Amino acid sequence: MTAARNPSLYVHVPFCASVCFYCDFFRQVYQKETADAWLDALEYELLHTEINDGLETIYIGGGTPSSLSESQLDRLLSLLDPYKIAISEYTVEVNPETLTQDKIDTLLMHGVNRVSIGLQSHDAALLKMMNRHHSFEDVSRLVNQFFACGLSNISLDLMYSLPNQTMESLQRSTELAVSLNPAHLSLYSLTIEENSVFGKQGVRPLDEDTEADMYEWICSYLSKHGYDHYEISNFARDGKESVHNTRIWEYEDFYGFGCGASGKDEKGRYDHPGTLKQYLKDPGARSYIYLTKEERMYESVMMGLRLSRGISRSRFEKRYGNDLTDVYPETIHSLCKEGMLILTEDRLSCSTHGFELLNNVLVRFMEEAEL
Amino acid sequence: MDQNHIRNFCIIAHIDHGKSTLADRILELTETVKERDMKAQLLDEMDLERERGITIKLNAVQLSYHADDGEEYLFNLIDTPGHVDVTYEVSRSLAACEGAVLVVDATQGVQAQTLANTYLALDNDLEIIPVINKIDMNNAMPDEVKNEIENIIGLDCSEAPMISARTGQNVKEVLEQIVHKIPAPHGDPSKPLKALVFDSFYDSYRGVIALIRIMDGSLSVGDKIRFMATGAEYEVTEAGIRNPKEVPVRTLGCGDVGWFAASIKSIQDVRVGDTVTNAQQPAEEPLEGYRKMNPMVYCGLYPSDAAKYEDLHEALDKLKLNDASLQYEPETSQALGFGFRCGFLGLLHMDVVQERLEREYDLDLICTAPSVIYHVYLTDGSMQEIDNPAKMPEASRIERVEEPYVKAEIMTSDAYIGPVMELCQSKRGIYIGMDVIDTGRNILTYELPLSEIIYDFFDRLKSCSKGYASLDYELIGYRKEDLVKMDILLNVETVDALSVIIHRTEAYQRGSGITIRLKELIPRQQFEIPVQAAIGGKVIARTNIKSLRKNVLAKCYGGDISRKRKLLEKQKEGKKRMKAVGSVVIPQEAFMSVLSMDDNDRR
Repeated sequence: MTAARNPSLYVHVPFCASVCFYCDFFRQVYQKETADAWLDALEYELLHTEINDGLETIYIGGGTPSSLSESQLDRLLSLLDPYKIAISEYTVEVNPETLTQDKIDTLLMHGVNRVSIGLQSHDAALLKMMNRHHSFEDVSRLVNQFFACGLSNISLDLMYSLPNQTMESLQRSTELAVSLNPAHLSLYSLTIEENSVFGKQGVRPLDEDTEADMYEWICSYLSKHGYDHYEISNFARDGKESVHNTRIWEYEDFYGFGCGASGKDEKGRYDHPGTLKQYLKDPGARSYIYLTKEERMYESVMMGLRLSRGISRSRFEKRYGNDLTDVYPETIHSLCKEGMLILTEDRLSCSTHGFELLNNVLVRFMEEAEL
Repeated sequence: MDQNHIRNFCIIAHIDHGKSTLADRILELTETVKERDMKAQLLDEMDLERERGITIKLNAVQLSYHADDGEEYLFNLIDTPGHVDVTYEVSRSLAACEGAVLVVDATQGVQAQTLANTYLALDNDLEIIPVINKIDMNNAMPDEVKNEIENIIGLDCSEAPMISARTGQNVKEVLEQIVHKIPAPHGDPSKPLKALVFDSFYDSYRGVIALIRIMDGSLSVGDKIRFMATGAEYEVTEAGIRNPKEVPVRTLGCGDVGWFAASIKSIQDVRVGDTVTNAQQPAEEPLEGYRKMNPMVYCGLYPSDAAKYEDLHEALDKLKLNDASLQYEPETSQALGFGFRCGFLGLLHMDVVQERLEREYDLDLICTAPSVIYHVYLTDGSMQEIDNPAKMPEASRIERVEEPYVKAEIMTSDAYIGPVMELCQSKRGIYIGMDVIDTGRNILTYELPLSEIIYDFFDRLKSCSKGYASLDYELIGYRKEDLVKMDILLNVETVDALSVIIHRTEAYQRGSGITIRLKELIPRQQFEIPVQAAIGGKVIARTNIKSLRKNVLAKCYGGDISRKRKLLEKQKEGKKRMKAVGSVVIPQEAFMSVLSMDDNDRR
């Protein structure tokens, strides 16, 4: 029986060398002793969870996984070694400030075959404003180090709609990023999270029109350079989409380990509640959000329409026993008429217009679902 | 208790000068209320009032006070409402008293309402006891404030108690002065009954309860009484006082303040200011000063959820039981569906009713901009009263339109005469005159269209005089003006609930003001929306609401699902608070936007 098989596993590393001002993820400044205790807790959690074999992807995010010391990184990856037998994609988030050649060697030794690097911008003033302590040159050097070691599946993160960022600055950042030849690019518009430093400072992103102008420029520039726009904020060349995240958008189940991580299984979704301290005391504690079928169907639409190829109707029907168009007949009908959605024999996806206004689209689904 | 030992008084003050706190202290000192076992500011019954710091519902409390002269006195403390909408009701509750305690904040001195209330009290021949409050504050300037009261109002302050209502300091002195300075009631117990109605409220078991002050004669349970203005007759089933709980009595004697019930079903029969007399032995003349209060301001109230129409109807019925001046009748709007056209005494009254409907009855309302009643004379010689701009007849059928004018008296100090006059002029005011009351105090008299006052006049007056101006107005009749109906079109469709009647000379400015305001208020939607103002089909102002270009969450990964779903839920809830009119979704505030368009003029 292979029905309840999770394809993916996520580990959240809650440490950073310094805190970026836009970030509100679960994280704190790295301390060696705390990180050791965290690794103990993670080990306990992994050992006390039944994990199926045949995992397709592992993703180690954060925080900044590379803020761990070389030996800690080695321990973390060793803990995951038993689960990597069938892995096709093994990603670790890294940043240039904390990643040494030693650590790169450790990553490769354990079979990591994809890294995601935060570039954000080439502009020193913007990087400083976000409290990022690296330059474009640092990132460039790191990328080439990976290439030299034979790891070519590299993703770069960029941000736009930053306060004071001009269109020219964004264009320059994007061009420079592309010049590094990454297989994958993520471009995120700045979201002001209430609990981030920016949120507390009352920082405002750029106006909607500038943001839209930037987004549209990004889409057309990257498509000209061979990057396929496969998700709202994600672009890939030569089919190098993030397999791990694609599974998430396809609303597959996944394991989540470490405080700050969420997971999903056939019952619903779960979080690790509380602070790091509480996690260290009770690593097994999870708070479940049980989902009704209606909620699961809605969430699969909410995630699936983020992909440019949209949702597979047959897979939806296999999962829930209903055809998508029977669950949301009016919404799908009217949104298709308005040119926001495209319905084919097997798929439901967004038009370019619908992609940019996905929130409006999803609210319409939510209204029909009466959630 | 014999009349000589009764003292009927009220407390008057500018807002926040400590009226309610002093009332609380007096209740405690007379042991009427034990140590804070009641909520703070006991006389303000409704939450809403407490929150806004204003008192609308009048109330009266009987206290007994053992004075330093060894005698026992009966105090009736009558609370007064405090806003220009209800000036008349204030004056009626003042008329039920012989004296007033004037509270002035030692840190702020004489303020606009201090003056307005004092003059109202003097009009009613009340003995005024000035009291300087908040002397415990660091920035208190009691001597300066005393001088100010003497110079500006002309009240002798040499014996004014210096108190802190907050701590209770010297409050007893206020009570002693009430005994010695305020005269006892001087009615004639042997004359036929004359009682002044100064408030009423509805009780679901006993019907309308009237709060009264006996001026002559007496009232007993079983008496047949008559309301002299409305002519309604009833038999008294119950009478009593409040201390502040209800205490039934057999008879209310001459000079007493109390309440009675008489199985009165309709609050319409019990009008504030009316005189109650004995039906068998009626008084010859009613008491002076009765005025029938008519609504002056109308607006449409609609449930934002059409299914709640009946709930709104029921809620209005219930409010009406307690509020004789609230009027409403069903109306229909193309844009908003089924609702009610409601009449109010003024803007504050309108605000309070809207808030009570939303809060106490949990209704989500859309309110259209307030309107006055226009007299529209048609070419066929007939006249229509129009209280809803959407109902304005076709221009070709109109011979002339008349609008209500008021005589407005604005009291202000020298420093603000310029700005106040400028404001009146900008509101089509006609200058009548200026009287200097005292050094630095003036009354400006203007004739103004009522429609200009109900827009944002109060707010503008307050801001241009730093709160140092008070306004009283009365209707003086209708005048012909060049008035036109201006329609607002969204996506080339007229939204009837946004139409306004305005003076032709102001049409362009208002039209562009309203369209700009709507552009700010209406969120960008999937398509571009032209916003137009038009008179008789001719567009006089236009803007565009650009189409929404990007509304999508940048990130949504495995750990974000709950949070991102909540964001979408929030957007959905926000959408619920808007009204779909044709293809355009409009937020509720937009329907009031014609009110605040002056913001744009000022920019």
